[in-house]
Amino acid sequence: MSKNSAKEHDTELLAAVAAGSRRALEELYLGYHRRLARFLSRFTPRYENVEEIINDTFMIVWQSAKDFRYASQVSTWIIGIAYRTALKSLRRQKNHSAARSLDDLPEQTIDPTGDTEVQDWLMHGLNQLPMEQRLTLELAYHMGHSLEEIAAITECPVGTVKARMFHAREKLRMYLPSLSGAGSESTAGGG
Amino acid sequence: MKIVPGTGSPVHPDISALIPWYVNGSIGERDRRRVDAHLAQCAHCRDELTREQWVYRSMNADTAVEYMPAVSLNRLQARLDAADGSESADVGEAAEAAAKPRRRSMPWQGLMAASVAVMAVALSLLAADRWLQYRARAAAPPDYHTVTISETRATDEAIRAVFSPTTTLSELQSILDEAQLRIVSGPTEAGVYSLAVKSRRPVGSSLALLRSHAQVRFAESTTSAPIEPLATP
Repeated sequence: MSKNSAKEHDTELLAAVAAGSRRALEELYLGYHRRLARFLSRFTPRYENVEEIINDTFMIVWQSAKDFRYASQVSTWIIGIAYRTALKSLRRQKNHSAARSLDDLPEQTIDPTGDTEVQDWLMHGLNQLPMEQRLTLELAYHMGHSLEEIAAITECPVGTVKARMFHAREKLRMYLPSLSGAGSESTAGGG
Repeated sequence: MKIVPGTGSPVHPDISALIPWYVNGSIGERDRRRVDAHLAQCAHCRDELTREQWVYRSMNADTAVEYMPAVSLNRLQARLDAADGSESADVGEAAEAAAKPRRRSMPWQGLMAASVAVMAVALSLLAADRWLQYRARAAAPPDYHTVTISETRATDEAIRAVFSPTTTLSELQSILDEAQLRIVSGPTEAGVYSLAVKSRRPVGSSLALLRSHAQVRFAESTTSAPIEPLATP
């Protein structure tokens, strides 16, 4: 299915959901589940939490479909709901469990050379970011959204998204010094 | 991000701000041309691009985890059912609450009796309507199923099995093909699949094959006939 026909199909499905079709909701759910699950599983390792956020998202989709005014794409609207639901849920989790902090990590830095250990370190680096910055980076790099789409999803001005992206990249660079460029010449292009 | 020594700022902040969108392919055509032209002459920003591409690739490294959304969808359906139920209850309570003050405000005994009679007729009409709706709903095939209602066993179900939650869809399909089985229904909330045989292969043989796989947590025959003994090699 091309990108345009996928958008049209989503629009048709949402109109059917607004008219009370459970079948349309089911199709929409199955169409978005993989994308949302892979995105959300980067923030919470427990599938129960991922499922809860996805199901909360689709409860809101079910209840609010009739209020959707088609000012944005259906996908942007659904991912926006998931974003806000995830943000609430993750903040709640953070209050209930020990939040990861720099103190939990070894006091050393790493030169990324491209293996699974490095992936783990990048993950640790991402975990250090404030939630909004982390989500911005994930929406851009993991989900492939544009600056304007992220602004719509997060309901923020474009300038705020730019600032979050800037700070996220800067913090990652400080956490993984090889990303800073200080050692780029010695790492043959930085890997 | 190449930093101007002592400032904490990137060497070319305008281009640096565009690099994430250049890397994920969502940048507009005009900005893309601008970045391309700049990169052709700036080694600092080329280094920054390389590093940002590394972060992008690393964040997109495939974890090979596949999710099977059917169980989650069943839970959502159950929540929707529950929400529908409470809405109906709310409507009923609201109607009752609306009716109560009127009943209390009746000053005359005769009118009170008439009101009771009218209400009785209304209630019987409502009950009849509800009954007809219920009959219509019961007759119509449901377009979803809930996890709280046990399904009747499919007539061709031969085996029930539970797979490890880490089993991918392709692994599941491969195991079923090997055992000559197909999915009749499931998974249930507990992750149970109902399976039917696809060929003349004895059920016992398919069962033994399922049980030999590490991804199969549990497998049992549901046929009343005794399971054929496996041929010894």
